[in-house]
Amino acid sequence: MTLFSLAKRNIIGNFKNYLLYFLSMIFSVVIYHTFVSLRYSSEIEKNIESFQSMRSVFLQASIILIAFVAVFIWYSNAFFTKKRKKEVGMYSLLGLRKKTIGKMMFYENLLMGAGAVIAGVLLSTLLSKMFTMLLLRLLGTDVDVGFTLSLEAFGNTIFVFTCIILITSIQGYRLIYNFNLIELFQADKEGEPLPEVSMIGVIIGTILLVFGYWIAFQPVDSNGQILRNLLLIMGSIVTGTYLLFRTAIVYLLKKAKEHKSSYYNGINIIGTSHLLYRIKGNARMLTMIALLSALTLSAITIGTSQYYNFTTHAKQLEPFSYTYISKGDIEEEKIKEIIYEDKNHPVQAELTVPLLKVHTDPSDTDLPEYLEQLMAEFPEEDFINLISAKTFNQVSAALDRNEKVTLSGNEAAMIKPRYTHDSFSDYEGRTITLKLPEEEKQVRFTHLLEGRVLSWRYPDAYIVLSDELYSEMEKQIQPVAYKTYQVKDQKNTELTSNQLHQLGFDDLKLSTFYKVYKRGLESAGQDIFTLGFLGLVFLAATGCMIYFKQLTEAHSDKGRYEILRKIGVRKKEVLTTISKQSLFIFLLPLIVGISHNLMIVKVLLGINLIGGDISIPILTSIGFYIAIYLGYYILTVNTYYKIVNL
Amino acid sequence: MKMVVDVKSVKKVYGAKGNVFTALDGIDLSVMEGEFIGIMGPSGAGKSTLLNVIATIDQPTSGDIFIDGTSILTMNEDQLASFRRDKLGFLFQDYNLLDTLSVKENIVLPLALAKVNVKELERRVDDIADTFGIRPILEKYPYQISGGQKQRTAASRAIITNPRLLLADEPTGALDSKSATDLLESLKELNEHRQATVFMVTHDAFAASYCKRVLFIKDGKIFTEIVKGTSPRKEFFNKVLDVLSVLGGGTSDTV
Repeated sequence: MTLFSLAKRNIIGNFKNYLLYFLSMIFSVVIYHTFVSLRYSSEIEKNIESFQSMRSVFLQASIILIAFVAVFIWYSNAFFTKKRKKEVGMYSLLGLRKKTIGKMMFYENLLMGAGAVIAGVLLSTLLSKMFTMLLLRLLGTDVDVGFTLSLEAFGNTIFVFTCIILITSIQGYRLIYNFNLIELFQADKEGEPLPEVSMIGVIIGTILLVFGYWIAFQPVDSNGQILRNLLLIMGSIVTGTYLLFRTAIVYLLKKAKEHKSSYYNGINIIGTSHLLYRIKGNARMLTMIALLSALTLSAITIGTSQYYNFTTHAKQLEPFSYTYISKGDIEEEKIKEIIYEDKNHPVQAELTVPLLKVHTDPSDTDLPEYLEQLMAEFPEEDFINLISAKTFNQVSAALDRNEKVTLSGNEAAMIKPRYTHDSFSDYEGRTITLKLPEEEKQVRFTHLLEGRVLSWRYPDAYIVLSDELYSEMEKQIQPVAYKTYQVKDQKNTELTSNQLHQLGFDDLKLSTFYKVYKRGLESAGQDIFTLGFLGLVFLAATGCMIYFKQLTEAHSDKGRYEILRKIGVRKKEVLTTISKQSLFIFLLPLIVGISHNLMIVKVLLGINLIGGDISIPILTSIGFYIAIYLGYYILTVNTYYKIVNL
Repeated sequence: MKMVVDVKSVKKVYGAKGNVFTALDGIDLSVMEGEFIGIMGPSGAGKSTLLNVIATIDQPTSGDIFIDGTSILTMNEDQLASFRRDKLGFLFQDYNLLDTLSVKENIVLPLALAKVNVKELERRVDDIADTFGIRPILEKYPYQISGGQKQRTAASRAIITNPRLLLADEPTGALDSKSATDLLESLKELNEHRQATVFMVTHDAFAASYCKRVLFIKDGKIFTEIVKGTSPRKEFFNKVLDVLSVLGGGTSDTV
């Protein structure tokens, strides 16, 4: 019998033991290959406008995936070899040479790896159609997708996994060299001393966590502060979480132990002491998982929040369906014709928005902070746009908005600049001196308005003036007249929008809602797909790690539960204690992860990285997280129970 | 005197068609309250199988077993678990202590499972700690104590519920002679002063000599039985050795 066939027999004979490792490898291959296939998909290339940028996002994501898949396979390999230490020790005891054993382990791993890659690639080819369709749908394109095989993707997957599998195979080969015989035999019965509790650790951990959260709720003003705060939050939360798991949990469990009437009540004694016995080995894993889940949840929240809010964003960036500068010439007639020809999207409102472009006095000291910054940035340009209250109210009516403004004399209203968190108090009572050719006019801010009037452009400064003041100024400067149209069902105006853009009237500054909307849709769809995909994979994998860890424990707990059954513990009680212990292990990172996630989201909101209504994205991502963990929890309890009851 | 265990023509057959092995072949025996009974026999004679079926861990193929007048074969899994907890105490060669619990916690485990209140529980530990001389090690963990101490801990756990029957499977098997003697003395004292009924499987003639009655099993059947009566232990020990030599094929550990 050759070594190779011995390895093959080992795999077939021990299939049940190998299954878990095999499945996790297949899982990794499926995930990776699916993702890579999308990157090389010609179907997607055809249907996406911003395919190049998407390709680079996918490339970055697949690099993260490689790192992740490598860690995941390495982890399951470690779990798997731990179970086999005794077997390896036995071979050695029987007189097999180390080199031979090493080779055998190497072949085994290689064989399984090859099997997993083949199975995984086949499976993901079946799944890739589904994923391509999902992605295209998220990006707002509905096309029928056929089965495609990309050789490039195939080559990429094979290459990555050959590397990973070679490394783990070498790891397997090294196993026999890395341990003494005696260690191999005693892999299962390590007598760990009970962890000591240091009160200092508990206190420092709590202080760090409280401190981290406290900082997260502090307002930030400058970029330097943001960076400093992020570093502080990260440092204190990471250390704090570790100390929490390492000491505070031990402390609580010990307290539970001292509470004798509940500790010595039925099966509690088993559950509590088991958890305490294992907590040292679990602390690091739980910390890592809690932090990883918090980050992943936040990433998913960012992705989903963009997807949920991009329509609102698009409406803010481009309030009207079509906007251009009216010059009253032939070009304009052409545009009008195209817009009115589109019978599917009848014009609901047509409006002329005149505005005056002026500058402010550099010596003005009473400027609101935002305008002051713009002033410094554009000292020469006429960056201030003035419109009359009448126009503003007309726009509001045309766009079905409720916001109305009435101004008199030298009262002025600022339209809230986008990407700021300015509130009325930033403008209240401030004044600005407007520079006109013949005079200077000082106006006082009395309102802050939400509704945006024209396409967003930087610098973003719109000031609404009273009608009489505006008409007085109009005599001194020639206004720029913007022509705006609002049409029915503007989200689907692709044809008209393209036609208009193809005219190439650059000087008219033509912009359409559809273009902004589509760009937002694609980038949000891409984000939600990439982040959602990676996020789900990460969450699934963290759950899987807990699952593996619990199974390892189940195997070493087998003897303990056998003793318990002999001294008269009912099967139901065994199930109860397993359920409780597993719940504890799953719930800890879940709660800490969700709590950290909320904190991170709060920080992101504070620095304007995300905005709008985020309750749905947060609830969705947390919902997914809980669902995944619930699935793993049920699986864990079942498998655990089966293992210890064999 | 009340009968604690009544085994009626119990058979136990392992394996399926063609490859059958009969471990117990129609065993009849009864154990009275306050007895200290030993089971001996060569390897493979069915000693451990007999203990396991009485312990309700294994089911006989045919026959019936009554403990305290109740048939244990009609009980379901949960009833058996409660039965084991309330009526039986176990002592195994490999101690079967939980390494996640301290000595004291190991001992009170059966009481905790039966939800005995803390006060009563502490009282019973206190009561038993001196009988087995484990008071100094109560707060230690199994990996910190010696084999003899482990077995005394296991014995304490086995009798803390005042079981109707104490089942011991080769309890001295892994102990040195000093520890073995200590344990056997303790068991004897339990039997004599607390009227505990002890059912012990052993292949060690020295251990068997502490029993009041010893049954010999061969090929799944009861071969013979000797009773200590009033004879001194040394003499009984020699009798056991005599039977063993007739029985053959087995153990001949000397003292």
